[in-house]
Amino acid sequence: MGTSTLERLRFPTSLSTSGLSTQRLMECCKLIEYKTYLQALPYFDRLDYVSMMCNEQAYSLAVEKLLNIQAPPRAQWIRVLYGEMTRILNHIMGITTHALDIGAMTPFFWMFEEREKMFEFYERVSGARMHAAYVRPGGVHQVCRPKCKPFQSRIVLVDMLTNNRIWRNRTVDIGVIGAEDALNYGFSGVMLRGSGIKWDLRKSQPYDKYDEVDFDVAVGSNGDCYDRYLCRVEEMRQSLRIMLQCLNKMPAGEIKVDDAKIAPPKRSEMKTSMESLIHHFKLYTEGYQVPPGATYTAVEAPKGEFGVYLVSDGSSRPYRCKIKAPGFAHLAGLDQMSKGHMLADVVAIIGKFLSH
Amino acid sequence: MAASLVRFVRNGFGRSLNATVRPKDPVTHTQLSEFGEYIAEILPKYVQQVQVTCFNELELMIHPEGIIPVLTFLKDHTNAQFHNMTDLTAVDVPTRQYRFEIVYNLLSLRYNSRIRVKTYTDELSPLDSSVPVHQAADWYEREIWDMFGVFFANHPDLRRILTDYGFEGHPFRKDFPLSGYVEVRYDDEVKRVVAEPVELAQEFRKFDLNSPWEAFPAYHKRKSLHSEFLFGLLLASEDWLLPQ
Repeated sequence: MGTSTLERLRFPTSLSTSGLSTQRLMECCKLIEYKTYLQALPYFDRLDYVSMMCNEQAYSLAVEKLLNIQAPPRAQWIRVLYGEMTRILNHIMGITTHALDIGAMTPFFWMFEEREKMFEFYERVSGARMHAAYVRPGGVHQVCRPKCKPFQSRIVLVDMLTNNRIWRNRTVDIGVIGAEDALNYGFSGVMLRGSGIKWDLRKSQPYDKYDEVDFDVAVGSNGDCYDRYLCRVEEMRQSLRIMLQCLNKMPAGEIKVDDAKIAPPKRSEMKTSMESLIHHFKLYTEGYQVPPGATYTAVEAPKGEFGVYLVSDGSSRPYRCKIKAPGFAHLAGLDQMSKGHMLADVVAIIGKFLSH
Repeated sequence: MAASLVRFVRNGFGRSLNATVRPKDPVTHTQLSEFGEYIAEILPKYVQQVQVTCFNELELMIHPEGIIPVLTFLKDHTNAQFHNMTDLTAVDVPTRQYRFEIVYNLLSLRYNSRIRVKTYTDELSPLDSSVPVHQAADWYEREIWDMFGVFFANHPDLRRILTDYGFEGHPFRKDFPLSGYVEVRYDDEVKRVVAEPVELAQEFRKFDLNSPWEAFPAYHKRKSLHSEFLFGLLLASEDWLLPQ
């Protein structure tokens, strides 16, 4: 096959941010085998550390599939709401740091203030600004009362890039990949949509309450960095639309599954009832046992299709947990996408998929 | 206390009232089973077992020599069209004769469905690389080689991808310890990074969480049947619901 452009330049993958992230992924896979299912949850926060609740959602859905349960309706709506908030967080981070890599400093500064506001929402619901460990198998962890409307986000600030001459010069016709090639290289998410394939797991294989919300899927036509950027900006607008619908449609109700063998009891119950105390103890030490089986569950994370291949052997620890990170396949396709481009374009291309 | 009593009564009287249990989708289940049978009829030489899990995931167990034919069929046949290789992993089950189970997860955009293809190998037998069929397999196979030690024949560039440059061993194998064998540190005397045997400050705590009660007694009874099959760890029937 011959050495790729990358090898000739001695571009060590292990040193790029993406490489470090995939390495973290692999270490997590091994660590998860030694933890119970609940203890393994915070690893998912930290894998793609800017789309926390989406990763947790993928893992929770996988475990719920093996346990043969489903979260109550309110928990599903909360998951959708926070999933979309996470999508906005991730896209802000992705676009503005990409712009920063290319040379535009202003969007980064201005939009990170919006991220701070969203971190406040995270903190109010879970106690932690970033790594929430909030979405758990069985529902969500604590009660959430989203009373405030989401701010009408100043996405127009990011729009300052859309018609900017320098931005267009740096991203139009850069990193072009065709639809067939994108599928062959195992791309997913925005990388496919930028090349014209209308594929969104929230529409085609809906999970939680995505089949009850109304939103559009942004699809590009050229398959270059600029189209993918436009897709992401449009996805942010659609996420806002979804969040508004969630707030309007959210029912009252419980937020954890009813089964006391899976969802731990509330602390007030634990302090008064003997059975709750025992359940609490058993769940936080040994954990719940998951029936033997294997599942591959994927969600539409902001970076692409985030999948969890979970193998259970009937004990309270996962036997094997393989995490399919979208960025791994995208980074593998970097060689193909950057052929014929200049070195500075590699920065633009990597920024456009921000593999994690 | 009263709440738990109500829950018990509700569970006792009928699971149809219980919103906790995942709803079943028998239509998709039949569609997938029929499709699985269809594939098994077309490729009888390589397909050894087909199963559909109770949560509607189709799994195809094949002989290792059939990797390229089956994947090509699944990619190119008009009724399959699994153009996207979503994931390629391995699972290490040391108790089996062929300890590594290689798992291909494929996605068909045309038919909006997924399929899982599983095959097996041991430490020494090489498998055919599926890079000619799906370019995505390139890095995934490198990862499996690095982490498990499964060799892929005819791979364009099979070398380590995640471990350090001089690393020895295959970390994801079950006999490789979590802390590893060596640790690295910067040695000021020789002015470079050196690798030394690992010294843990605290002994690694592994709790024995095996409960004296059997959580899934039905699995134990069935184990004697399944142990004959190469894929005896995983089950596909609908009996594996929550213990009531």
